[in-house]
Amino acid sequence: MSKQLTPKSSKKQSPESSKNLPPGLQLENVDDRIMTLNVGPQHPGSGHMRLIIKVDGDYIVNCDPDPGYVHRGEEKMAEYRNYITNIPHLERPVIHDSCNILYPYCLGIEELVGIEVPERAKYLRVIAAELNRCVYTQYWLAIYGIFLGHSTMFMWPAGDRELLIDLLEKMSGARVTHAYFVPGGIRNDVPANFEDVCLRQVNYFEKRIKEYAGIFYDNPILIARTKDTGVLSREDAIRLGTTGSVLRASGVDFDIRKKEPYDVYDELDVHSNVMKAGDSYARSKVPWLDMLESCNIIRQALEKMPKSGGVRTKLKPNPKGGDDEVYRRVESGRGSLGMHIVSDKKPQPYRLKISVGSFRNLIAMPYLLKGEKLGNMPAVYWSLNYWPVEADR
Amino acid sequence: MSTSDNKETAQESTQVEAKPEDKPKENLPAFEKSLTDKIQKKFGDKTEIAYVKSNRTRVNVKKEDVVKAAQFIREMGFDHAESVSGVDYPESKEIEVVYHLGSYSDPTLAKQILALATRATREDDPKPGNDSTKLPSLRDVFYSVEFHERECFEMLGVFFEGHPDNRRLLLPEDWADIPPLRKDFGNKGR
Amino acid sequence: MSVIAPKFRLGYFLKGIIDNALWIIVLVTLIVVPLIQVLLIYINLPVVDGELLTPFLAFTLIFHPELAVPLVEAIIRSDLFHIAAFPGFGFAALMAAAVIFVERKMLAKLQLRVGPFYCGKIEGIFQLIADGIKLVSKEIIIPDKADKPIFWVAPLLFVGAAAAFVALIPVAPGGEEFDNMPWVVADLDVGLIAVFAVIGFFPIITVLSAWSSNSKYPFIGGIRALHQMVSFEIPLILSLLGVVILTGTLNLNEIVQSQTSFPWILFLPVGAIVFFIAMLAELERIPFDLPEAESEIVAGWLTEFSGMMYGLVQLGSYVKLYAFAALFVTIFLAGYNGPSIYPDFPQDIIDDGIIIPGMTGPLLTVKPFTDGTAVLDQEMINGLIWFVLKTAAVIFFILLIRGVFPRVRIDMLLHIGWYKLIGLAFVNIFIALGLLYSGILAPAGAF
Repeated sequence: MSKQLTPKSSKKQSPESSKNLPPGLQLENVDDRIMTLNVGPQHPGSGHMRLIIKVDGDYIVNCDPDPGYVHRGEEKMAEYRNYITNIPHLERPVIHDSCNILYPYCLGIEELVGIEVPERAKYLRVIAAELNRCVYTQYWLAIYGIFLGHSTMFMWPAGDRELLIDLLEKMSGARVTHAYFVPGGIRNDVPANFEDVCLRQVNYFEKRIKEYAGIFYDNPILIARTKDTGVLSREDAIRLGTTGSVLRASGVDFDIRKKEPYDVYDELDVHSNVMKAGDSYARSKVPWLDMLESCNIIRQALEKMPKSGGVRTKLKPNPKGGDDEVYRRVESGRGSLGMHIVSDKKPQPYRLKISVGSFRNLIAMPYLLKGEKLGNMPAVYWSLNYWPVEADR
Repeated sequence: MSTSDNKETAQESTQVEAKPEDKPKENLPAFEKSLTDKIQKKFGDKTEIAYVKSNRTRVNVKKEDVVKAAQFIREMGFDHAESVSGVDYPESKEIEVVYHLGSYSDPTLAKQILALATRATREDDPKPGNDSTKLPSLRDVFYSVEFHERECFEMLGVFFEGHPDNRRLLLPEDWADIPPLRKDFGNKGR
Repeated sequence: MSVIAPKFRLGYFLKGIIDNALWIIVLVTLIVVPLIQVLLIYINLPVVDGELLTPFLAFTLIFHPELAVPLVEAIIRSDLFHIAAFPGFGFAALMAAAVIFVERKMLAKLQLRVGPFYCGKIEGIFQLIADGIKLVSKEIIIPDKADKPIFWVAPLLFVGAAAAFVALIPVAPGGEEFDNMPWVVADLDVGLIAVFAVIGFFPIITVLSAWSSNSKYPFIGGIRALHQMVSFEIPLILSLLGVVILTGTLNLNEIVQSQTSFPWILFLPVGAIVFFIAMLAELERIPFDLPEAESEIVAGWLTEFSGMMYGLVQLGSYVKLYAFAALFVTIFLAGYNGPSIYPDFPQDIIDDGIIIPGMTGPLLTVKPFTDGTAVLDQEMINGLIWFVLKTAAVIFFILLIRGVFPRVRIDMLLHIGWYKLIGLAFVNIFIALGLLYSGILAPAGAF
């Protein structure tokens, strides 16, 4: 039987994706060819989410992502807590990248309250954010490895991640949930010998991740599996509003660190990695290139950082914003991470909307998975740099 | 600030208060001002420019005009939605939906975020999808708002007319309470 | 000080002991004694000092342990021992257990981690026992709508098929006194055909278990396994044809003996490569572990198995791994042939056996006892060591691939099988035919 699938171009604009069927009603009652698979939330290849996939033979004909299994109501919680007490719980959605998810919050509060961050704190923020980006990306890469059945690629990044976790532990005192950024700077200064240790570890880390190319990115089976699968064209990437590595893998040179520099990124030489192909391979390689770039940024920041000085501008007790709103965004490990903070002259935010990269990339998932083979499902799904916990918030 | 006539809500009216000293009226960023001028020239007093800050602008429109305004903004070069946030205002019985629009394709607009805000009426006893809290969907203009609007629907009960898929996204299927991001949804112990 | 048990009473304690004793007596009378009697029918009891070793005489072994030696030899020569212990299933299971441990340790070293460490004093050597105990103690859950008889029997069938495969592999030479009768359970003239027949069972068992579990992921996994195994059986069989053409026999032992001077891999490297790749696919090893691809279809056809049923399937698959590696050794790497790796036994041991002072007879005779195979033949030990070493080398390469490659996709897999491997297998056959017709190599008596 021919696998007559609608071509992709007609699929995206037509209201075909309007799923009139409630999720419970399964097409297999209508047509014996179609089988519905519940991928998740207790599936080794799904993460904390569910994909309702309909397959026709080996081809996916419909995919309906169903996130929300780890929804914690961070936005609601933030409305009841002060600006300072919001910090520890706001990093929970993505604890591996906790500095980057606090970054837009701190930038927003600083703009609302109107305080200036000391120069040294700005550099330390950049260092912490880049370290955390690498920590997140290593974790993501490890899972990408095991999703493709490459167990060595699971163990190596998970182990090398420890190098940077140790550094972050030196900086903040916590291994994973740092709560390091506060409005007005950072919580505490780094220990005395931090610069040397950081430089040494980062150099070794860079050497290690360059070795991944040999076992993973140049692996012929990996290339055969991920090349030309789940191709997201440049136009579609823009139209779907994807962000981060997914966007840059599709050939759009958009890195917020470069386009809208925050803190001291404008003083550093940031190179944004772009690949034209837009397939799973490019999407899996761009974060790895980003890690190499992060090592560069950390070295530059260590060099330019003022060797002494304060790291925190103290806020007033119970800081209040005006009747104002801000929208600040940073480049996190999963792309643009924006926070829309509405203030109403109270010590709590009136509304805090977190717009995360994972949630914005989620829309590309059903679009890319339709028409793919079932065997490509993990390769495409995880290449979207999607962190289910962050998407649910 | 000059364009803001400060009558819609109290929220934008006190923009000057936030940073009174480093933002005098004459220092409005020129490029951002030109963007809002374009919109105002096209729509006249149907739109209201809430604020013009560096890299950030905000336009308030009525819900009848939001699709047309969005189409015009898309023609200006903004091609995707960064975020769609709903804000509940129980005092004025309105729910505000703010689309934060950005641009990937136009490098001059790369820094800009244009917030397009519109308001729907709010009912005290919400029946999501079946009451008057409705807005036209912008999905046909900005495809990327699809999941954001779904989230807004379940969290604030704003039904988007024309959206193909107004289903729950994050909340559990058996959620039987009011939309949780409304202000009258209490938080236990707080 | 401490309380022994909340309700400890001496009466209950004694009652428990008496109860247990009673049960033991009943079970021994009803089961163990008849079992021994049945067993005695099949074991040819040896003649010790001119006297048939009857069970009554056997009880005197308690006081004269040296008398047990002939009995041990008789057991070792029996078919039951061949099937259950040495060349058969027990040996294979031991090898499989070693493979599992080595795999975990080696993969751990490859991935810069430690691997099993705590269970057992040395490098977690008892981890496998702990895992086994865990698996045995787990509850077996059968899906509600499963076809229960088939679902129950599928793991047993899998292990049985793997054991049947093992039964065909000659592991050691028998020595010249016995017309070179090798150490093998079944020395068949159609050995290779029998191997293919046994391999043909695996997809059927897989699909049966997948279908009977009445679940979606096992079903997809079973269908994938069916595709994979059926399409890779063809290159598997074709790649061995070259050896059959050159040796002119299907008997595995004769194939081994044809390689006394050189292994066939020297002349047929293409066939060896094709066989190795097809073997990986048949074994469902990475990169061809699609039927168990956990990120796509949970655990494939193993999804619904739990407890010891899963353990049995795992045991079966590792026995199968050993069997395939042994088949590779048998056909391409000269089997048990190899130079002598230690000096000859002293002549007096060969003549008289190992004599320990104080015992009336020799402890272990090297010479054949009455008929059948020798127990401690020097040639046999040498052959066995070579066989195990070569098998371990092949298994090492099978395991190594797991640390290096990701999983392929089903369409890539089928493409490899149908387009590339079959073509290469034909190339191999042409090489064999070229060698044959150019007169370089020929089976005995061909010209």
